[in-house]
Amino acid sequence: MTHLLEIDKATRRFGGVVAVNGVTAHVDEGELVGLIGPNGAGKTTLFNLISGFTPLSSGTVRFAGHLVNGKRPNQVAHLGISRTFQNLRVFPNMSVFDNVSVGAVGTLPQGPFGALFGGAKRADEISERTWQALEAVGLTHVADELAANLPYGRRKYLEIARALAMRPRFLILDEPAAGLNDTETRELASFIKRLHGQGLTIMLVEHDMNLVMGICQRVLVLATGRKIADGTPDVIRKDPAVLEAYLGVDA
Amino acid sequence: MNASNTRQGWLVPALIGLLVFAVLPAGLAAFDRGYFYQVANVAMIFVLLSASMHLVTGVAGLLHLGHAAFYGVGAYTAALLATKAGLGFTWTLPLSGLVAALVAFLVALPTMRLVSIYFAVATLAIGQMLYLVMLNWVEFTKGPNGIIVSKGLELFGFSLSGRLATYYTVAAVVMLCVVAISRLSHSYYGNALRSIREDDQCADAMGVRTVRLKMEAFTLSAFFAGVAGSLWAHMTGYISPGDFKFSESILILAMVVVGGLGSLPGAVIGALLLILLPEGLRGMGDFRNIMVGMVMFLSILFLPKGLLGEVSALRLVRQQLGAAWRRTDNGIGIGWR
Repeated sequence: MTHLLEIDKATRRFGGVVAVNGVTAHVDEGELVGLIGPNGAGKTTLFNLISGFTPLSSGTVRFAGHLVNGKRPNQVAHLGISRTFQNLRVFPNMSVFDNVSVGAVGTLPQGPFGALFGGAKRADEISERTWQALEAVGLTHVADELAANLPYGRRKYLEIARALAMRPRFLILDEPAAGLNDTETRELASFIKRLHGQGLTIMLVEHDMNLVMGICQRVLVLATGRKIADGTPDVIRKDPAVLEAYLGVDA
Repeated sequence: MNASNTRQGWLVPALIGLLVFAVLPAGLAAFDRGYFYQVANVAMIFVLLSASMHLVTGVAGLLHLGHAAFYGVGAYTAALLATKAGLGFTWTLPLSGLVAALVAFLVALPTMRLVSIYFAVATLAIGQMLYLVMLNWVEFTKGPNGIIVSKGLELFGFSLSGRLATYYTVAAVVMLCVVAISRLSHSYYGNALRSIREDDQCADAMGVRTVRLKMEAFTLSAFFAGVAGSLWAHMTGYISPGDFKFSESILILAMVVVGGLGSLPGAVIGALLLILLPEGLRGMGDFRNIMVGMVMFLSILFLPKGLLGEVSALRLVRQQLGAAWRRTDNGIGIGWR
């Protein structure tokens, strides 16, 4: 059986530092996978390798049969992978609606001639998609606000809405709960579960153990660039290598 | 959630049309002085230059310091086609735009991956290079002597070189181009360009083809600058390199910034202000340049987002030109059509 995402011996070096070192992993269609690891384990680098932000030094990443290596982020996005960022990256001087529309425009391109001559049907399609993504995260009531004026928690949902407007097959969330309080984290957890319940394949990097262990079906653990464990939350909790990586005790 | 717009998108365009095509020409005809016609035509040409720079600098966020050079490429294309190939305005108008766009496309190929200040310096260098070609390639461009363009404005053989006809021709071409720029900037295509301005890496991850879109914005803006050059060449009947030097690029940039970066109505207002104000202050002699400088300085100091900033401009366009997809419950337009 082929997997939706196949990572094979992915390696990324930055000078002498090997941030990701021969990681082999996969994600199947419909899974909700967590990626954890201590600081500097290479989680975000692995995300960047998958989304085309950082080129691989060696190894391969395949998505739905397509090679991701050497593709620009926008080409990876067109394959159906969309992502959010660890340090929120919204378009501050654009309205909430316009922010989310960019996700829809990216994958439903409206070229200059489309904008010039008619193209009303295409524009309506983009509008509808944008509105649906805003409805999914519950931000329709602030659609006309500038993104810069939104509180932190809402900007997180704005980023997710923008990613959803791309109608991705695979959504990768980079530390979605960072900076949220317990209540907000719980709300986010149930929101992610709901998205997953609608059939979306999701991978999330997270520091919040409870969040990952609570909602993910499978957890990958990275430490110093290598994959040290891969299994259900129950297995991971008892894995001696994981305990050592996190607590530094000799198992 | 249907798109039931209470659209009132006809009133403002109708008023602008009435002003440009009826009230102003009637006033100009009543006074019938060449100077007034000249000022009106120059103002409209700079409206087009400012609007075209708005697309690349205001919307796509690329600081362009060589815009006047593409205006010059258009003007020289028109002048050379008219004097050497005997072509009239009907042909030089589109060809000037296309040649300017082609030159822009070629120079953009290696420059587009540069970011922020490096891109700005590259466009400065490109502008200087094109200017020096106009100035020093004497056999081809007649260098500092300039070129006399004997062919006035015409359309398919009908002469439009009378004062009023020239006004109408310039007004019609500028209006058409500004409407086109408005469609580009007030659409989801414009949103994609804005996302590149805001955060190009993030836009890339959202599937926006950033390099290609920047190329398109740069090339399209050069096309419109080239069209403005052709209008200038046929309207004034004489062009020289001095019309297209660096300070003209800066003047156009000032129009866009004073009006409001990212705001098309602002770019139009900025152009009108910076052309009409010095003319209006002619009575003050040399003092007028200081006054113009003061107006620019104070407007940036107190209105850093411009006389009509992007947020208000987009709202205005959505409310008054019926460009919104629908309205929110509190009546504010969102999206594009």
